[in-house]
Amino acid sequence: MALADVCKIGPNFQFRPFKNETVEDVCEQTANFTNGFQLALPPFADPARNLARFNKDESGKPIQFKFDHGTTTLAFRYQGGVLLAVDSRATGGSFIGSQNMKKIIEINDFLLGTLAGGAADCVYWDRVLTKQCRMYELRNRERISVAAASKLLANMFYNYKGMGLSMGMMLAGWDKRGPGLYYISDDGTRTPGKVFSVGSGSVYAFGVLDSGYRWDLTDEEAYQLGRRAIYHATHRDAASGGIIRVYQITKEGWTHIADEDCNDVHYKLEEAKAASTSS
Amino acid sequence: MSILSYNGGAVVAMKGKNCVAIASDKKFGIQLQLISKEFPKIFEMGPHLYVGLPGLATDTQTVHARLKFRQNLFELKEGTRMSPKVFSSMVSNMLYEKRFGPYFVEPIVVGLEPDTYEPFICNMDLIGNVCFPEDFVVGGTCEDQLFGTCETMWEPDLSPDDLFETISQALMSAFNRDAGSGWGAVVYIIEKDKVTTRHLKTRMD
Amino acid sequence: MASVMLPVEPTPGFSFENCRRNEFLKAKGYKAPVATKTGTTIVGCVFADGVILGADTRATAGSIVADKECAKIHYMAKNMYCCGAGTAADTEATTALISSQLELHRLNTGRVVPVVTAATMLKQMLFRYQGHIGAALILGGVDSNGSHLYTIAPQGSTSKNPFTSMGSGSLAAMSILEKCWKPNMTEEEAKKVIRDAIAAGIFNDLGSGSNVDLCVIRKGSVEYVKPYEKANVKGTRTGNYKFKRGTTEVLSKKVVPIIIEEEIVKPISSDSQMDTS
Repeated sequence: MALADVCKIGPNFQFRPFKNETVEDVCEQTANFTNGFQLALPPFADPARNLARFNKDESGKPIQFKFDHGTTTLAFRYQGGVLLAVDSRATGGSFIGSQNMKKIIEINDFLLGTLAGGAADCVYWDRVLTKQCRMYELRNRERISVAAASKLLANMFYNYKGMGLSMGMMLAGWDKRGPGLYYISDDGTRTPGKVFSVGSGSVYAFGVLDSGYRWDLTDEEAYQLGRRAIYHATHRDAASGGIIRVYQITKEGWTHIADEDCNDVHYKLEEAKAASTSS
Repeated sequence: MSILSYNGGAVVAMKGKNCVAIASDKKFGIQLQLISKEFPKIFEMGPHLYVGLPGLATDTQTVHARLKFRQNLFELKEGTRMSPKVFSSMVSNMLYEKRFGPYFVEPIVVGLEPDTYEPFICNMDLIGNVCFPEDFVVGGTCEDQLFGTCETMWEPDLSPDDLFETISQALMSAFNRDAGSGWGAVVYIIEKDKVTTRHLKTRMD
Repeated sequence: MASVMLPVEPTPGFSFENCRRNEFLKAKGYKAPVATKTGTTIVGCVFADGVILGADTRATAGSIVADKECAKIHYMAKNMYCCGAGTAADTEATTALISSQLELHRLNTGRVVPVVTAATMLKQMLFRYQGHIGAALILGGVDSNGSHLYTIAPQGSTSKNPFTSMGSGSLAAMSILEKCWKPNMTEEEAKKVIRDAIAAGIFNDLGSGSNVDLCVIRKGSVEYVKPYEKANVKGTRTGNYKFKRGTTEVLSKKVVPIIIEEEIVKPISSDSQMDTS
C-alpha cells in the first residue's frame, strides 16, 4: 500500500499494541478522546429529558449560561452561486468579548459553514464535520455533497437534541448538483433553501435581503446586497457588529471577497445619503 | 438581566482644572434592539449645572421632570439659582424618599460652584447615596469598563481641551466593549465663561 | 391643592408609588439593581477620658469599589458621632434625620443631649421599619453621665458595650479588640487599638479597604481625623495616557457663552455662627 511505503513499514514491521495509561484513563471518562461524536454526558439516566431540569435553579429561574451569543449571518443562492455574509462580534451577556471573530468556517475548498448561537458548540461540531467530510473524501475518492454533509451535521445535532446545544448553522457549497445551501439547527432541523439569515440580527438582515433579492443578481449586486443586509443588522442589533465578512461560492470553489469594518460602511453610506439629498 | 440595562446607556463625568466635563452615549434601545440614536441622558439644570441620568429610560425622563419641578419651586421661593451641592442633596433626598420602591436611575451631578467656580462632581446609587470623589464618576451599563478606562486615562489638572480628549476617549473605549451602549456620544465641557457641547463620531454598531 | 396640571410638593416620609411597578418588573425577571453597601469595618471603644470611633473608607456596589474615600463616621451632635455599616444610603439618611431631631431637642431643652436619647431615637426608628432600613450603627458620645458606646442593629436591638465592632469586617476587628482592649486605657493606647482593629478589617475583609478614619470624643472636645492613616497608598503612575488634541473626531461643536453680569463676593468670617436665639 502506498501509505505503508511512504511510512517505511515493511512486512517485518512490528505493530506493537499501543498502550498508554493516561489515554486509557481519559477514555474511561469520556469516549470523546477517540470518537468526536461522543460528548461526556452527565452521570444520570436519560439526559435528554433529565438534563433540562438542571437548567433551572431552586426557585425556578432559568440558570444563565453566559457563553458567546448573538450574531447576524446570511447566505443566499443566486445565478452566480452562493453568497455568504456575516458579522464578527462575540458577546457574553452585554460584554463584547471580540470584535473580529471568524464566523464563516472553511470546511474544505467547496464547503463553507456559518456560526450562530453558542460559539463553542458551533466551532466544535464544525470541526467534527470537517473531519468526517475529509474521511468521506478518502473513502470514496470524491468530494462529499452539500446534502450529505448537512445530513451528517443534522444527525449529530439530533443525537444531542434537548440537551442544551445552541446552534443555528448554514452549510453552503458546490457539488455535482450545483450550488447547495442548507440550514441546520440544534433541534435537528435541516432545510434546503435559497435565502437564509440566522441570529439575533436576522430580522433586520431579512428586511434588506427580501427587498433586494433576485435570482439573476450579478456578482457585484449580490455582494452589495449581502454587505448592506449585514450592515443594517449590525446597526440595529446590539449583539452584532465589527467586521462584515463576505464569501462567494462558485463551481471553482469558495472565494473570500472582502472584510470590511461596518463602521466604515456606515459613514460611507451616510456620506452617500447626504450627497444624494443635497444634489 | 438587571432592569438598569434594559434600555442601555452610559454617563461619565470628570474634574479638570477650573472646569468639569460630563459625557454620555446617545443610545435608546430595548434590550438588543436600537430604537433611537438621539436620546438625551444629560440635562442642563442651570448655566453651570448639569445632571446625567443613566438607567431605565422611563425613569430618566420622570426623574428629570420631577427634579426640574422641585428646582423651579426652590428657585422661585429663594430667588436664587441652585448650587450643584444643594441640587445634589435635593436629588439624593428625592431618591431616598423612594427607598422601598426606587427609580432605576443612578444620577451624576456636575457643575461649578457659584462665586468660587470650584469644580463639582458627584454620583449616587439608585436610592440616593452620594459620593463626592476627587477625580471622576461613572454610571450606566458599561460602568465596569468606564472604571477601567477612567482609572488609567484620568489625571489631575487637565485643561478643558485635554479634558475633552480624555473623557471622550475614556467613554468611547468603554462602550466599544459594551453591547448596551454607544451609537453616538455627546460631551459637555463646563467652564466659568462658556459651555462647549460636542457630538462625537463613534462606532455605529 | 393637587391636580394633574399642578403636582403638589410631596409630603415627608417614604413614598411607595413605584413599588407595584417594581414588583411587576421583578416578576417579569428583571432583577432589581444593588444599592451601594458600605461593606464595612467599624469599631468603637471607651477609654479613660471618652470614646474613640473608627471606620474604614470603602463603599462597594456588588464587586465594584464604588467609593474609595467615603466617610462612615457621621456627625450626630457636638458631643456624639455615629459609625454606620450596611446600606450606605440608609446609614446616611438615618443618622442625618436623627441628628436634626437631636439638634431640635437640644434647642428645646437647652442642654447637652444625653447619648442614651440618641440611642433610643435610633432604635425606635429602626424597629419601626423591622430591619428593612439596613443600618447597623455604632453610636459613641460623652455627656454629663460619662462616656457611652452603643451598638444598634438594623432590627432595632441595642447593646451598651465598652468596645464593639460592626460590618463585614467585624470579626477581624473584634479579634484585635478582644486581645488588646483593657479598661482605662490612655488616649494614645486606645487610638492604637482602634487603628489596629480597623487595619485588621481593611487587610482581611474584601468589603473593607482604603483608609483608617478616627474620631476621638472627649468631654468638651472632639477630634475627627480623616484620614488617620492611609493603609493602602496607591503607587504613582510612571506612564502618561494623555491624548494628542484632535484625537477624537467631532461631528458638531457648539459653544454657549455664559455672560456674568455681576459678581458679588460676600466674605464670611469663620467665627460667625447661625443666630439660633
